[in-house]
Amino acid sequence: MAGESLNRIDDTVLVREAQRGDRAAFEDLVRRYDQAVLRLALRLTGSEHEAQDIYQEAFLKAYRNVGSFRFECSFYTWIYRIVTNLCLDHLRRKQVRKEDSGVVMNAEGEEFSVIEQAADDRPNANPEKDLLRRELGSQIGRALDKLTPRERMVFELKHYHGLKLRTVGEMLNTTEETAKNTLFRATQKLRGALSGLRGRARDIRGGDLRDDAGRRGQAI
Amino acid sequence: MKCEWVQQNIMLHVYDELADDARYELDQHVARCEACAAELAAAREFRQTMATVTVVEPSPNLLTSSRMRLQEALETTQQGGFWTRLTFDPGIWLRQVRFSPALAAVLLLVGFGGGTAVTFRVIKSNPTDGPVQSAGPTGATPDVEANITGIRSITPEPGTNRVNIKYDTVNTKETAGALSDIRIQQLLLFAAQNNTNSGVRVDSVDLLRQRMNDSRVREALVYALRYDNNPGVRLKALEGLGSYVKDDVRVRDAVLETLTNDANPGLRTEALRVLEPVRADASVRATLERLAAKDSNKFIRDQSRAQLAQLPELD
Repeated sequence: MAGESLNRIDDTVLVREAQRGDRAAFEDLVRRYDQAVLRLALRLTGSEHEAQDIYQEAFLKAYRNVGSFRFECSFYTWIYRIVTNLCLDHLRRKQVRKEDSGVVMNAEGEEFSVIEQAADDRPNANPEKDLLRRELGSQIGRALDKLTPRERMVFELKHYHGLKLRTVGEMLNTTEETAKNTLFRATQKLRGALSGLRGRARDIRGGDLRDDAGRRGQAI
Repeated sequence: MKCEWVQQNIMLHVYDELADDARYELDQHVARCEACAAELAAAREFRQTMATVTVVEPSPNLLTSSRMRLQEALETTQQGGFWTRLTFDPGIWLRQVRFSPALAAVLLLVGFGGGTAVTFRVIKSNPTDGPVQSAGPTGATPDVEANITGIRSITPEPGTNRVNIKYDTVNTKETAGALSDIRIQQLLLFAAQNNTNSGVRVDSVDLLRQRMNDSRVREALVYALRYDNNPGVRLKALEGLGSYVKDDVRVRDAVLETLTNDANPGLRTEALRVLEPVRADASVRATLERLAAKDSNKFIRDQSRAQLAQLPELD
């Protein structure tokens, strides 16, 4: 907690310097948050290329407007607000285009499956379990794509990024109560879409535990 | 507590978003209600199912290329300027007033009082049109930076620590004082960053070099080194910053930027010399390796190679 408030104090100093035109200070701020920004953009777009575009646009927007930042929220919330807005726009456009989210492109323009990202590449990994994990990931991806952009955003920020709903509300310019309702709707839809998968995750985890126990046994 | 309420809040419980009292009540209810206990188990399983897909961290390559692309774009991007900040936005103004009626009232009173006082003083005072002379630290109250429109000239007094500065507000003014005087420092910092006359900028940067232990001065010189369009000013700034490349990473970064990007070969050579004491630093070594491999200037290439040759090999 102390570290977090120290970070905020540092952020305030850096933001003030950036507001005076110090580009190095702005670049320091970028380095603090850019990995999280890129992670979120990558997760929501599924494409390295598009994630990079969102990253670029978000920080350029922040740079142009840092002069009007009034410290009404933390810089972290502010930059996330910019990124989530850009991602929401992206998701809306994507819904209109009805792209197949299972296959995406990396920066070199090569196609790859998001699910393969979740593949288990540990030595001695169980190929059967790996296949199961991929199938499960594929169905989860499809279920996530059926959410509205706002539901998807709230769910991603809560489930995969571990943010508090109050912070999510601030980022999306709404109240904590609305964020709670949106999370409720999102989880209801996801549970409905994934109802056929009950027990599959347990199989994977069970397999993991058995594999781990097996490896430990070999080591002994 | 009704089952309906539990069903609606069970996900918030699973995601640890319920208040303590609500969580306690929900746990109590679940302990006695089989249907809600099953619902809680299903909600927990859902969370675990969703967790089988993990968040992929961006690869170091992707992060680095994103940073480089952003850096390039920042070179050509302007921040929203002074006037943009002053642009009247009725939405923001109304929101501020709505949320802080007390502040709005205070502002109104201060504005009214201030206006009255200023009018009273203007009527009482005898306005003068010519330059105002002030001969020392006890002279006229210094103008705030926002009122200064430019610095006309800076003249150090030979053999002393004093300096004369002629500057413009609405009228031209002149002040004199020691370098340790905070007003003089403010004017010099202003001149280093905001003046249109490059001769004045050279003079101010030259004088500021005597106060390099002040971080504001270093910041001003880093700014001059990075952004001043006059090579003479940049050279003075570089000379001043030279002794801080070891201790101040931002100074080192600025000098590295000069070494890599400055249009003036003389300045790049000087930057190379300034960086000699820290050539073993990873960022300096990486820059030297890049320059040694493919810089368009042969002298810089050779010098970079010579400096790298003096470094111990890395594993």
